[in-house]
Amino acid sequence: MRLVRQAQLILLAALLPASLTAAFHPRRPPWFQPALAQGEEMLPTVLAWGDNVLWVDARSAEEYGTDHVPGALLLNLESWDQLFPKFLDGWAPGKKVVVYCSAGTCELSREVAERLRKNGISSVFVLKGGWEAWKTRK
Amino acid sequence: MKYFLFQLCVFAGSAFGQLAWETTEQTFNSKPQDKEVVAKYKFTNAGPKPIKIQNVRTSCGCTTAALNKTDYAPGESGDIEAKFTFAGRTGRQEKAISVDTTANPEQPTILKLHVYIQETVKIEPEVVLWRVGEQPDPKSIHIVIADDASAKIVSITSDNPALKVKLTEVKPGKEYEAQITPDSAAQPAAATVMIRTDYPPDNPETKYAYARIK
Repeated sequence: MRLVRQAQLILLAALLPASLTAAFHPRRPPWFQPALAQGEEMLPTVLAWGDNVLWVDARSAEEYGTDHVPGALLLNLESWDQLFPKFLDGWAPGKKVVVYCSAGTCELSREVAERLRKNGISSVFVLKGGWEAWKTRK
Repeated sequence: MKYFLFQLCVFAGSAFGQLAWETTEQTFNSKPQDKEVVAKYKFTNAGPKPIKIQNVRTSCGCTTAALNKTDYAPGESGDIEAKFTFAGRTGRQEKAISVDTTANPEQPTILKLHVYIQETVKIEPEVVLWRVGEQPDPKSIHIVIADDASAKIVSITSDNPALKVKLTEVKPGKEYEAQITPDSAAQPAAATVMIRTDYPPDNPETKYAYARIK
């Protein structure tokens, strides 16, 4: 009986710091991991790739001009013929290409990624959550 | 169902004193010979007060938006006519029309126009790649003409003499193959391949493909 009570006390003592960690730790794991579509990646994963990433902005030139991920190249379907050669000049084999658009539901980033893959560009990903995910990063 | 949704929008509009739009998003699939699309966005003033449309802006110089009048009494309907001129654009296009009204000056309504413009001349792939140090074997680009067109490739040229291009007709007027061969893949190199066609006759299309040694 005494043994059970001691075990309960130890559990209770551990519960308090564990709860605080779960609630406030800046790098706590998420409770729910959002489902990723094929070819999609979460921002923390992309950030962990460091400099080995070529960002591609699939939004309009106007939105890109207002703000974009530092170093990102503009490449959208609207001006593909003008922008694709610039992408080829900036791209290097071995670099991971991450395409983003203006919202989580935006299809443009998926379409740009698909067109790049069809052209033989490997390691092309779509940023889950798009530009908004980048803007609200911690 | 559509009528019910529209009624729901009118109700929602009246609740906030705004314009109720029949739809704010339209999608078109165009044929290669089309030059433009015209989309009408219908609305009703569902609020209790007159509404003035203060400004209508488009996201691109290629799109115009026309409005018959600017002031709408309660219950009055109207429409905005958006015209998107292709001017050589192909593939998926997304245009936005922003509408400012006195009902909600801080929050413009965004009307969207999605257009898929079919290509007359399709290039697959658009780029051929070699890694530096790879064998300089030839690589092919397929040129396919759309079903309802017939086009000849008038000329095909590479802007880099070290990356040579040779054209073969697979199906007359419908399908071609361009073979690109680098003299050597020992160093990085780049070439733009210009493909001139005779279609459409009034403004023949020129397409581009690319070769890179990286």
